[in-house]
Amino acid sequence: MKTIPPATDEFPVALAQIATRPGQPRHNLRRHLEAISRARSAGARLVVFPELSLSGYLLNHGVAEAAMTLDDPLLAPLREASRDLAILVGLPLREAGGGISNAAVLLEGGRVCGIHRKLYLPTYGMFDEGRFFVAGRRLEPLTFNFGTLGVLICEDAWHLSSSVFLSHPPVDAIIVVAGGPSEIEDGPVPAGARRWHWLVGAMAITSVTPVYFANRCGWEEGVLFGGGSWAVDGRGASLVEAAPACQETVLVAPFSRPAVAWARTLVPVPRMERFELWRAALENAGA
Amino acid sequence: MRELPALHLPLLAEALQGFLAEELAASGLTGYVVGLSGGIDSAVAAALAVRAVGASRVIAMALPGPSSDPRSLADAHLVAESLGMALEVRDLSQPARQLAELLGCGEDRLRFGNLLARLRMVALFDRARTLPALVLGTSNKSEILLGYSTLFGDSAASVQPLGDLWKTQVFALASYLELPEEVTTKPPTADLWPGQTDAGELGFDYRDADPILWAHHEAGLDAARLVAAGFDPVLVDHVLALYRRNRFKWRPTVVARVSASAINIDRILPRNPER
Repeated sequence: MKTIPPATDEFPVALAQIATRPGQPRHNLRRHLEAISRARSAGARLVVFPELSLSGYLLNHGVAEAAMTLDDPLLAPLREASRDLAILVGLPLREAGGGISNAAVLLEGGRVCGIHRKLYLPTYGMFDEGRFFVAGRRLEPLTFNFGTLGVLICEDAWHLSSSVFLSHPPVDAIIVVAGGPSEIEDGPVPAGARRWHWLVGAMAITSVTPVYFANRCGWEEGVLFGGGSWAVDGRGASLVEAAPACQETVLVAPFSRPAVAWARTLVPVPRMERFELWRAALENAGA
Repeated sequence: MRELPALHLPLLAEALQGFLAEELAASGLTGYVVGLSGGIDSAVAAALAVRAVGASRVIAMALPGPSSDPRSLADAHLVAESLGMALEVRDLSQPARQLAELLGCGEDRLRFGNLLARLRMVALFDRARTLPALVLGTSNKSEILLGYSTLFGDSAASVQPLGDLWKTQVFALASYLELPEEVTTKPPTADLWPGQTDAGELGFDYRDADPILWAHHEAGLDAARLVAAGFDPVLVDHVLALYRRNRFKWRPTVVARVSASAINIDRILPRNPER
């Protein structure tokens, strides 16, 4: 019987950049299982899927029919697959108290060991999440056998306070999962991935924490998603070459707890945060 | 400002090929049907489809009318040959004349042109039904915004891979795709009557209009700021008038909402649910 491997300080993290289809959950599940198989072959201890990976992103009113509870049969194969490696999967989570969250669910050892609910729901431009989802209320680390993860879902990462919160106390790694649409411009990297790389890099070096970014690729309803999944350490060095824009792939990037500790010894920026400035800003804003 | 921002053409082509491959896979159908006019838009759309799903899954049709320029058919053959596709030719002259006589529109050039464009649509969708396949659209953003298309005629399609590209970007993509020079360098035409050209009908060239459209539609410049930026005031007025007048073509029909479940208003759902 498969079991969770013993915890180690160094292990590979897999980032599954897949192209999902809205309204086709069984197709999406097959893409997950294929990516998990590849991640397992690469020795990964954690495999990360993009935002709403199991349902697809541009669901609109289809959120209601795609929403699931944690005992949904669609999750059963992923629970089973999580017996020997942790899986972070995105899905629309039907809440007991009503409403549907845009959630990232961490599975390990055949069970759910943590959930992050998206805090910031973009409702502007082409985004309409505020119509279909309820916002999460807390940002708390998710704990699994190998340590603590700060999980951010797409727009959560565009509020730089998120990574500050995840630095007090510091998580071992920040995971950003996204369904980031993109435009094409004059460079070989699409606009969306270019912006994400700035954002993820800034988050990594200011929190002195490795950031693992899993974005989706492909098209939904005529909208291009920009791929470019990537991992970067707390000093801004690439942990793996960024994924291409348009291709499904499984990136494998290293995690090293000693390297994280060493970087934080050299650069104590998060420990120097001036929370009295935050307090004053909150008072000024009347919050 | 006077020129459109450049696009990375290899990435653009790769992305649009992915779009066509994914749309076909998600639809569960077998391929694409495209009408080859001998012009640049249909050549680019067909080339992307062939690269995406293979020539054997793209049916090319040439659908000449009674007054089509013979060179158009020759150019359609050239495009099909360059892409490794067989070309099915269906001459619509006789049915077009018969229908025009029945409807009494043979003398009205615009009505007859629309009729022919819609007959082409009928032929493409009918052929698509036999496979079944998706109809590959060839409209570009400039045409759509200027209203230079026939509603439910050439604008009717299952997918529009070029619908967010300005015409001048289609020219650039055609060069990147190495399409036959005869097709990429000739003046754009709907080929609905002898000597017809887009520039002749619109009164301007896409290379002059596209930067104005881009600066207005994408960058938000109004007429005064466009003129201040150096654009010709007469051309600005002309282009913006077409832009406003033809906005109804962005959304060809409107459903009257009388319930709380109106389609595409209260119920916006993914197009291709699992079967």
